[in-house]
Amino acid sequence: MAYRWIVLIWLLSAMMLMVAFPARAGSVQPETLGFEKDIKPLLSKYCYGCHGEKKKGDLDLRIYVDEKSVAGDRQVFEKLLKNLQAHEMPPETKLQPTAAERDLITSWVGSFFFPCDCNHPDPGHVTIRRLNRVEYNNTIRDLVGVDLQPAADFPADDSGYGFDNIGDVLSLSPVLLEQYLAAAEKILDGAIAANSKRLFICQPASGTKVECARKIIASFATRAFRRPVGDEELARLTALFISADADGESFENAIKLALEAVLVSPHFLFHEEVAFRSRSPQLARPIDDYALASRLSYFLWNSMPDEELLRQAARRTLRRNLEAEVARMLKDPKAQALAGNFAGQWLQLRNLKLATPDAKQFPDFDEGLRVAMQKETELFFEFILRENRSVMEFIDANYTFLNEKLARLYGIGGVTGGDFRRVALTGYKRGGLLTQASILTITSNPTRTSPVKRGKWVLENILGTPPPPPPPNVPELEAGKGALTGSLRERMQEHRASPNCASCHARMDPIGFAFENYDAIGAWRQKEGQFGIDSSGTLVSGESFDGSEGLKAILVKQKRDEFVRCVTEKVLTYALGRGLEYYDKCAVDQITRNLSKEHYRFSALILEVAKSAPFQMMRGKTIL
Amino acid sequence: MNKSWQIPRRTFLKGVGTAIALPMLEAMTPAARALGAIEPAKANAFPRRMAFVYIPNGANMADWTPKAAGPDFELPYILEPLKALQPEFQILSGLALDKARPHGDGAGDHARASATFLTGCQARKTAGADIKAGVSVDQIAAEGLRRFTRLPSLELSGDPERPSGNCDSGYSCAYQFNLSWKTASTPMPPEVNPRLVFERLFSNSSAGESREKRAVRLRHHKSILDFVTEDAKALEQNLGDADRHKLDEYLTSVRELEVRLEQSERFATTLPDYLKPEGIPADNEKHIRLMYDLMALAFQTDTTRIATYLIAHDGSNRAYPSIGVADGHHDLSHHGNDEAKKQKIAKINHFHATEFAYFLEKLKSIKEGEGTLLDNCMIVYGGGISDGNAHNHDNLPILLAGRGGGTLQPGRHVRFDREIPMTNLYLSLLERLNVPAERIGDSTGKLEDI
Repeated sequence: MAYRWIVLIWLLSAMMLMVAFPARAGSVQPETLGFEKDIKPLLSKYCYGCHGEKKKGDLDLRIYVDEKSVAGDRQVFEKLLKNLQAHEMPPETKLQPTAAERDLITSWVGSFFFPCDCNHPDPGHVTIRRLNRVEYNNTIRDLVGVDLQPAADFPADDSGYGFDNIGDVLSLSPVLLEQYLAAAEKILDGAIAANSKRLFICQPASGTKVECARKIIASFATRAFRRPVGDEELARLTALFISADADGESFENAIKLALEAVLVSPHFLFHEEVAFRSRSPQLARPIDDYALASRLSYFLWNSMPDEELLRQAARRTLRRNLEAEVARMLKDPKAQALAGNFAGQWLQLRNLKLATPDAKQFPDFDEGLRVAMQKETELFFEFILRENRSVMEFIDANYTFLNEKLARLYGIGGVTGGDFRRVALTGYKRGGLLTQASILTITSNPTRTSPVKRGKWVLENILGTPPPPPPPNVPELEAGKGALTGSLRERMQEHRASPNCASCHARMDPIGFAFENYDAIGAWRQKEGQFGIDSSGTLVSGESFDGSEGLKAILVKQKRDEFVRCVTEKVLTYALGRGLEYYDKCAVDQITRNLSKEHYRFSALILEVAKSAPFQMMRGKTIL
Repeated sequence: MNKSWQIPRRTFLKGVGTAIALPMLEAMTPAARALGAIEPAKANAFPRRMAFVYIPNGANMADWTPKAAGPDFELPYILEPLKALQPEFQILSGLALDKARPHGDGAGDHARASATFLTGCQARKTAGADIKAGVSVDQIAAEGLRRFTRLPSLELSGDPERPSGNCDSGYSCAYQFNLSWKTASTPMPPEVNPRLVFERLFSNSSAGESREKRAVRLRHHKSILDFVTEDAKALEQNLGDADRHKLDEYLTSVRELEVRLEQSERFATTLPDYLKPEGIPADNEKHIRLMYDLMALAFQTDTTRIATYLIAHDGSNRAYPSIGVADGHHDLSHHGNDEAKKQKIAKINHFHATEFAYFLEKLKSIKEGEGTLLDNCMIVYGGGISDGNAHNHDNLPILLAGRGGGTLQPGRHVRFDREIPMTNLYLSLLERLNVPAERIGDSTGKLEDI
């Protein structure tokens, strides 16, 4: 029966790829492209100058005359693609292809070397990942019933692809294992002190001591491993109890030993999904119901599955009831985790803790305001999530959540006290994430606003089109030109006159300048010091706007698909715990398509991600 | 405000310096020798220690590099705080990290600077899927010296919160926030919280715990490690090799921990007479000084001989309001040759040098035999970027403090006339620890004139 699900994927050797593709194809229809008619002329125009006669870097692109000659040299084109996407090539001093031309080459290389067949989607592979600090804390809380926060002392988790739950990046150092060992003891002491009945579900009468121990251990291990504990596993754990018991240790201490072992076991520390792992890169199969229960609960709760999820996994009803389960889980208070962890990282909200606005210029900024800023965005996010609102409200909404302190910063009256409440924004120049103080602060320098950072933030997190990194050597100002004067905008325009900087800053700066009426901690201002503020601009794609309201209108209408795609990619990355690859395009396409039919409700996005092939299935992976 | 972080300096020196460190060391050296280890030829020699202190975003080189080479050089602005210690260190000009250059990988100089600093290897450009740097010099030393001390090495960092989102230009954050790499793919995450550093250094000396209780714990820990080893091995059988790699990491850590448990039996410690820090002080300077105190304590008590300290990750945008620099460090480092910005960078560099001087003074104040702890140290201080605006990785700001047990020639400014890999310096330091290594990353030989 299970084999009905098995899908064979012949991927050439695509899993050996080192180039990660963005899962987007732009507007080009790659299948209509041909090397000779579409690509060769571009190479000739932009590349042959150096990589022709001159053979710079030992590369002569003229040898590629048709698709046949290209086919054998995938690595050359992978590198070409990487350099092209990173705007490393052509060098800034040379003639640059247009964005459309870059897209064209990208699409063709993608479809030629890395075709994907959405009828047989490749779900990819998630490297076995250990619990990160948040997941560990929450799992322990739900496992022993006491919120002990033992991971507070663990070393920080490294992140990749913008998130700290990426299996490939989460390493396990000796220091961390030492911490796990120490934590296990503390956790059990804390749990026993708080509620020993929860752990000790039976009492040892003489003669039944081992039986009772086995019961206690089985119950604990099943929940800790997020799946039924195997007979052999249980026997080995019980053997730990027996040996400690034989050493004359108390019943409680002997049990503790076995339970500590559970908490240091890889079955607890790593997201399981193991028993049903396919080892073959060609073989994709659905993950089993327990693994699915875990994926769901760590996605939505950052914690272990509850009894209901485990029950459904045991009965194999989880897939059938997926929609109802997701709805139930989103209603649970534990879904708050999405605001702290998903939104905290997608929006880089966690960086608010690092913000150090200059105390002289911004005397209003204090810890209370910092906390309030964060709270506003979290409440706003949760509201959209729980109230079935459209994701487009992230861009623009006529309400937000304020307390007195924050309302005062915004110049909004009638909000008193420290409690947060929903406030209508009609008539105020606020609404949506982009005009929230949290975002405006984390994208500012300590002493002033940074339109570049604000623009970059929007490109990265809202439009999903991050700009390439800046060239290393920011050019000197011409000698004798003297210091730049005037408003920030004037100074930057002068600075940008350099062609080296112009192409990327033309993408970032207009977006950033739209928010110049908000200072470095997000308060409204009419002037920048002595200078008036010009918040009008034109995007590289041609749309002109005036101020943040105008820009938001464009984002909501003309840029809707880009935004929806961007959020989808972020949610999918977070849900899977791995970076997206070219083959995830199928899943992203399907999710966004279905989402448009659901009025872009955020909860529908969550459900679609949970239903997607990469979430439901997995294949093996070999290392290069 | 919480006052518990305040450093009881006198207690520190009096209590630890005399009562604990000396007897322990003398008791230990023969024991180590009995294990057949190679120790310095001289009898009664004190162990040599090695540390690396990393400063972010390069330095304002005009205020770092002394004008003259040789002895008796005049200290430039940034190094002025080290005036009283001038005979104790040398400035090495002309060292480079070639593998921090792009070599076709494009932007990302901050990530590469940190990842290459102690490894001499080109970090693989990946946002996560397959991180790879190289084994770092401190870990090579730690492996070689692990039998002699309770902890093989200590890794510290001054970044209290990590920024979220993507790190430098497509490089995983692992490259920027870890200096020390146990293997090419397993970084050693540094500890930020002084309390936890303290607990790590002196954990098995919990006051008031009975011998029996400790013995039981040790036995428990051993059986747990045996148990989970079996678990991991069985699990590995069911995995493909991409996953297996993670389990290998787990198993390596288990083995490492087993050795550590044995070491902790062999080297019982006494709780030093030093007030246990309560956490991370809000004040940056206090934080830095606590970390330096703990490094000094770790060396003094011979709890470890190897340490790394990332003052802040490369690319850090921390502001330094206490010294009048309200702007972010990284923002400033892209100075575009603006003189005012360069001066602010120099000020930050000056501040870090002031703190480093505190550390050296501390080491110097601790007696070891006829000399001082500093005499037996080799401390590399500097960063993987030279000018923060140019992001160049040659002519790095590098200072080497200590006498390496009489094997170094401090008190000079050494200027190399050609580009020399940083890793050549490391090979020479490893030699002085009697940890032989043929190569580290891109090393081409030993650096003789140090």
